Amino acid sequence: MPPADLPMTPMIDVVFQLLIYFLVTIHPKDVVANLDVFRPSPDARQEQTTTPPKMIRVTVFAEGFTINDRPVDAPELDKLLSKLASIDRNQTILIMCTASSHHEDLVRVLDLCAKSRLVNLSVVSTN
Amino acid sequence: MRRSMEDAAMNMTPMIDVVFQLIIFFVTTADMQSKALDTKLKLAMAPHAVAEEKKDPREVLVDVGPDGRISIARTYMSPAVLRSILKKAVAESGQTLPVVIRGDARAKHEDIKGVMDACAAAGLWKVKFAALKERG
Repeated sequence: MPPADLPMTPMIDVVFQLLIYFLVTIHPKDVVANLDVFRPSPDARQEQTTTPPKMIRVTVFAEGFTINDRPVDAPELDKLLSKLASIDRNQTILIMCTASSHHEDLVRVLDLCAKSRLVNLSVVSTN
Repeated sequence: MRRSMEDAAMNMTPMIDVVFQLIIFFVTTADMQSKALDTKLKLAMAPHAVAEEKKDPREVLVDVGPDGRISIARTYMSPAVLRSILKKAVAESGQTLPVVIRGDARAKHEDIKGVMDACAAAGLWKVKFAALKERG
């Protein structure tokens, strides 16, 4: 039966070429996470300048963070936020960002809040 | 007799050719939607955040580059244009429209603020920031 014996060698060659091509070109997809925040309206922001003492204010500067006007570094902020979250997870954390701060630092603060499972996060901009 | 034997042995070569073509087509088109995003964008890391599960088809992805340039699907625009686009989108799909800000880690907050202000002007008080949970 001459038509039955298909030559396998070229097919295997092509399959290997394809395999190598895809192994080299395909890179695994990044896992993206979304961090939800609230953006208070401009009038609400004015109310907040006469800050109610209960609200937690985290300020993001270009050089670092402060929590309720006390300068802290990231590990300390993490510790404080987890302590606050153990008291009440639904309290509002007001995150204030200066114009010159990097977006990375805001995301880091939001990540620490997500780690402590704090959900009421408001982001406002300051100068 | 000889003729029927020839019919029975099917020629496999064209079928294999077509199958390979199909495989190549599907592998190359499977990841098309990520092509619409700015690939040079370096998202900030957020290892503790919850990974996004289901995608809302209405979701608007706003990219902010390291130089502060705003773009949607690689189309660059000014904050004023973004505002009018968001207003139109809100008029169509309501205030629950999910907006995801994909800000580069190196972008200044000033530029992110421009996008958030445009959202606020369109009546969107809830925004999301995209971050990398894991590098693939």
